[in-house]
This record gives sequence, structure tokens and C-alpha cells, in this order.
Amino acid sequence: MVKHKFPSDWFRLDNAAKIFPVVSNRKETNTFRVQVELTEAVEKDFLQLAADAVLERFPMFKVRLKNGLFWHYLDRNERPFLVLPLKHRVCGDLNPKENNGYLLQVYYRDNLIAIEIFHSLADASGAFVLLKTLLYEYLLLKGYPVTPDNQILTRDSTSTMEEFEDAQQTYFDPKNHKHVHEEKGFLIPGTPIADLNVGLIAGTISTQKLSELARSYGATITEYLVAVAMNVIYVTQIRYREHLKQNALPVKIFIPVNMRKHFPSKTLRNFSIFLKTNMKMNRPDITFQMILEHTKESFRLGLEKDELIRKMSENVAFEKNLFLRLTPLILKKYAMRIGYYLLGARLNSMSFSNVGKVDFPKSMEPYIDNVAAAVYAGRMNTVNCALVSYKDKFKITFTRSIMETTIEREFFRTFTAMGIPVEIESNFVEEY
Amino acid sequence: MKHCDKCNVEVRSNRKYCPLCHQSLSGETPELPKEIYPEFVTLRREVQPFMKKLLTVASILAIVVLLTVDLIEADGKLFSLIPIGAILYFWLVVRYGILTKQNAAFRIAFLTTILILILNLFDQNITDPTHRGWALNYVTPLLLLADNIAILGIILIKRINYRDYLFYLLTILFFSLIPLILAFFGIITIVWPSVATFSAAILILLVIVFFFPKHVKDEIRKRFHL
Repeated sequence: MVKHKFPSDWFRLDNAAKIFPVVSNRKETNTFRVQVELTEAVEKDFLQLAADAVLERFPMFKVRLKNGLFWHYLDRNERPFLVLPLKHRVCGDLNPKENNGYLLQVYYRDNLIAIEIFHSLADASGAFVLLKTLLYEYLLLKGYPVTPDNQILTRDSTSTMEEFEDAQQTYFDPKNHKHVHEEKGFLIPGTPIADLNVGLIAGTISTQKLSELARSYGATITEYLVAVAMNVIYVTQIRYREHLKQNALPVKIFIPVNMRKHFPSKTLRNFSIFLKTNMKMNRPDITFQMILEHTKESFRLGLEKDELIRKMSENVAFEKNLFLRLTPLILKKYAMRIGYYLLGARLNSMSFSNVGKVDFPKSMEPYIDNVAAAVYAGRMNTVNCALVSYKDKFKITFTRSIMETTIEREFFRTFTAMGIPVEIESNFVEEY
Repeated sequence: MKHCDKCNVEVRSNRKYCPLCHQSLSGETPELPKEIYPEFVTLRREVQPFMKKLLTVASILAIVVLLTVDLIEADGKLFSLIPIGAILYFWLVVRYGILTKQNAAFRIAFLTTILILILNLFDQNITDPTHRGWALNYVTPLLLLADNIAILGIILIKRINYRDYLFYLLTILFFSLIPLILAFFGIITIVWPSVATFSAAILILLVIVFFFPKHVKDEIRKRFHL
């Protein structure tokens, strides 16, 4: 194996990553999970070897978080990295005692391999690159005839500057950074689950059927599913209860947009901008068609290049503020935390991350059954959703921090009512 | 695969009810050897919080009693501040010396810095004027000297993680310069401890700059990046 030497062994946090160490705690963990289910049981020792090799390949993941005088930074971590058996809690906080300060964790259980990763390190797209490499090295160690086919960053390739660039700092436009005020969004109420556990319910639908269905409505799959989710929120939480004060708030679904599709960046760090639907639903006569039209319009406006650049530049302008930069971290921490809880935390009703289609080289496909992702659910965003499609399995994973399964139930019943079969799995959090 | 008649979905589980609607599932006998997701194992420890409560109540009680007695006596000097300071320092030791996740160098550097501040406060406010100055003259420089030597010792013993300790050593080295400055302005009257600390600090600084020049530079760059 080639040992990669780097001129520097530390990394600045990228623009989007800077907020997470400040506002994360046991309740709002800001972690997410990418997982793959194999067709056979995972062997721990091979996985450990693969993980060690992969971390050497990605110096930007072999790090831990440290405090500087002005900002947090990621410093190379020489301590051993351990793969662990999967735990019940989905996207819990990363316990520094268990993983020696690493900001990611590789879990295994039966056929599952899951990576849980703190959002400061990477976004889902970067995490999937890591997962693919891990899986490739694992299968290779098991002695299977797998080939990278230019889709995998193998451990023999070199890590380049491009992989850990802060792409927002590259593609922002200093002239286009107008701040747009946002109002608070509707929050889904519910009974908190004890012990900070997170409920997970995943449904698998045929990708082909889903895409036919979406096409029949003249929408993309994401647009259609977001509209279904909004409709479910409307029907189960708001309709005929318009007089309640909290129901007057607009339903805002937070949808991250993978910017690598819009700008030629190869970064593995955070490079996504969000778009939001924003619809006041306190009337009794909203139809699904109206919601779908609104969603399509939100996507059209949110994906305009100007708008994407504006959001990016707004973030960068905030970070470049000289006053903020010169404030010592210890004060900045509190300022950012207060600002976040006053302005940022209550803006979204639900987050809906579409990771999109995940491809593996042909030679790896026989070993892979399905792929999924999950995001944490906190006290504000009580129900979140992540979508991944792999071959004909479109996996919709809901995570929730409340006992009630109303949203999930009605969401999946929408499809079964149309005769589309849905396969459900759950971590049965209500049993504990 | 089990089936929920109400939701009309297949459920991949051996359990008896549907995760969506909590109605019983129909379907054949279990086929999965194990559930996909693991069970919840609680990590909550029941003992620790009680001890913490007990100690907290005892501390508050002691502080209240001490202050009451001292105020009733009313001779103008609050000697109770000494035991109260000790109690508060005990809690700092528990929190930042024992329960913290930070490394040994941080614990030493942080706790001695606080100790120096507390002792100087005693010195300035409670000691009678004829004996005043012991904390500034002796305690401050000599504790810093001990600190320097201790952290250097840690670095030399646990060389694998030395980069983690470097920052704290540099901080304490920086603090070690302060007594000499105070001596220069006549605030410290007995000079030899300050001078000894200063020369030791310079010596240690030279050693680490000599042996780890790149790392010292890197550490400063990392910690102070804007």
C-alpha cells in the first residue's frame, strides 16, 4: 500500500461545517448514516482491515475536532479506529470514548455495514464515496473478483487537494449575497421518545413504479415525494384545525441540493445548498394537485443558478465577516448558538434529503442487496426523511424523535392505496 | 415476510405488530434469523447521580453555614472565603480534573491556572498586610515552574501523542513570562522564584523549538488560523 504523505495534517472546517460543532449536542446530533446491506454476513476482522486502509486513503476523514483560538479545526488523529457492532440508536452522538475522537463510525451487524458520520466532515455524497471505497476494499479482502471500473477511489489512488476543498469558497459570488429573511416553519408535534432514541421506519418501493407514478403527475420523483409528504402533513396535522395558532405557520420542507451536479467540483466535504417549499396550509380546500404545483414551482425557483449562488454567497459572506472572525471561539460559540436557536432551528418542518441513485461497479453488484441513508431527528425537526435508490430498490427512510408514526403510516399508505407494494422495516423503538 | 392487512404492507421482521399502525401482523412463521436493527441497551448508570446530589447538597450546606457563622462573628474579615474557595476548587477538580475528556496537559494547565488565581485572591484580600505577597512572590512562579516540568515530562513519556500536549505547554510557557514582568515593575518583591521560572521556561522553549521546530510552528498556525 502506498503511504500518502501530506504537507499539512490539519484541515479548516468548510463553510457549512462551521456551525455544526457549535450547535450539536446529545439531542441535536447532526449526524447521518449511510448503510449498505450485503447478501451475506459481514466479517468484522476484514471490515476492520478495510476501514484502516480506507482511512489512510482519506486523510480528511482520519481526523478529530479541536478548538483553535478563533475556529474549530480538524487535526490528524493517530489513534486506532475501531469498527463497532451496530447500536440501537440511529444517528446518535459520536461518543469520543468509543471511537477515539473520530467523527465517523463504521458499524456492522449481520449483513449490514453502516457509516455514521458527523456533518462537519462531509455531506451524504462524500459519505457515499467513503462507503463505496470501504465496501470495495472489504470485498477485495474477502477475495471476491471485484474491479473498481473508475467508479471507486481505491486505496492506491492518491488523495488530491480537490477532494477536501471548500467548494463554497470557490464558487461563491461576492456581488450576489443578499440576505433574505425567512419566517418560522410549522413543526410536527409529538411525544418525545425516551432516552433520546430515534425511531427508524424504512419503506422499499420499486424505483421503476415510482418513476412511472411521478411521471404520470408530470414531476420528478423527488418533487412527487415531497408533495406527498406535504400532503400527509396537511391531512394529518393541519386540515380542519386551521384556527390553531401553530397551524398558521407555513409547512417548509428542507431539501438539500447536491451542488456537485451544478458546479464542477469533486470535493468530498460539505457542498450542498438547500431549497425549501413554503406553503401556508391553514385552509380546508387544498388539493394534492395544488401542493404538487407549489412543490414544482419551489424546485424551479430554488434550482436557478442565481439563487444557488446567492445562498452560497450569503453563507460565505457570513463567515467572512471580519468582526465574527476576530471574536475568540469561546465567545463566538455562544453568539452562534444563540443566533442559531433564535433564527435557524425552527425554520424547517421536515428535512428531505435525496441522495439519488447510487451506482456500484458491475462486479460488486452481486454482493449488494440494498442501500439506505438516514438523518438524525432532533427536538425541532421531529421527522426527517432520506431517499436512496439502488437498482430497482427505492428506499425511503424516515427517522423520528417522536412516538407517533402518523406521518410514516399515511405516507406509505398513499402508495399501497394505489396498488404499489411497499416493504417496511423498522428498528421498533417503541418496544424499549 | 409478514403482512399488515390494515396498511397493506410487507414487514421485514419477526415481531408481532406493524411498526406503522401497531395492529397484529399476519404471515408465516419467522424467517429472519435476527432482526435487522439491534435492541436498545441502556447505558444509564443509577449510582453516580445520587453521589453527585449528595455532594452538591453538602457543599451548599457547608457554604451557607460558613458564611452565616462568619457574618454573625462580624470582625470585618471573611475567613470563611478560604474554605469556600476550597470547596469550589474541589468541584473544579472533579469537573475539569476527573470527569473531563481533555488530556492530562489540559487538566494540569487549567487547574493550576485557576489555583494561582484563587491563591492570589486570598493573598490580596485576607492575609494581613505584613505577610502579604506570598502568593505572588512564591506560589505563582513556582507553580508555573512545576507545571512546565510536569507537561514536559508528559510529552517526553507519552511521546506518541505529544502533539496534543504541545499547545498547553506553549500556553504555560507564555504565562511563565508574566512573573518576571511583574518583578520588573516592582509588584513582585522577591525576585529569585520568578527568575528561576523564567529561565526554566526559556530553556524548555529552546528544547522544544530545537527538537520539534515544525510542530511548534504548525501548532501555532492551527490554533490561531482566522
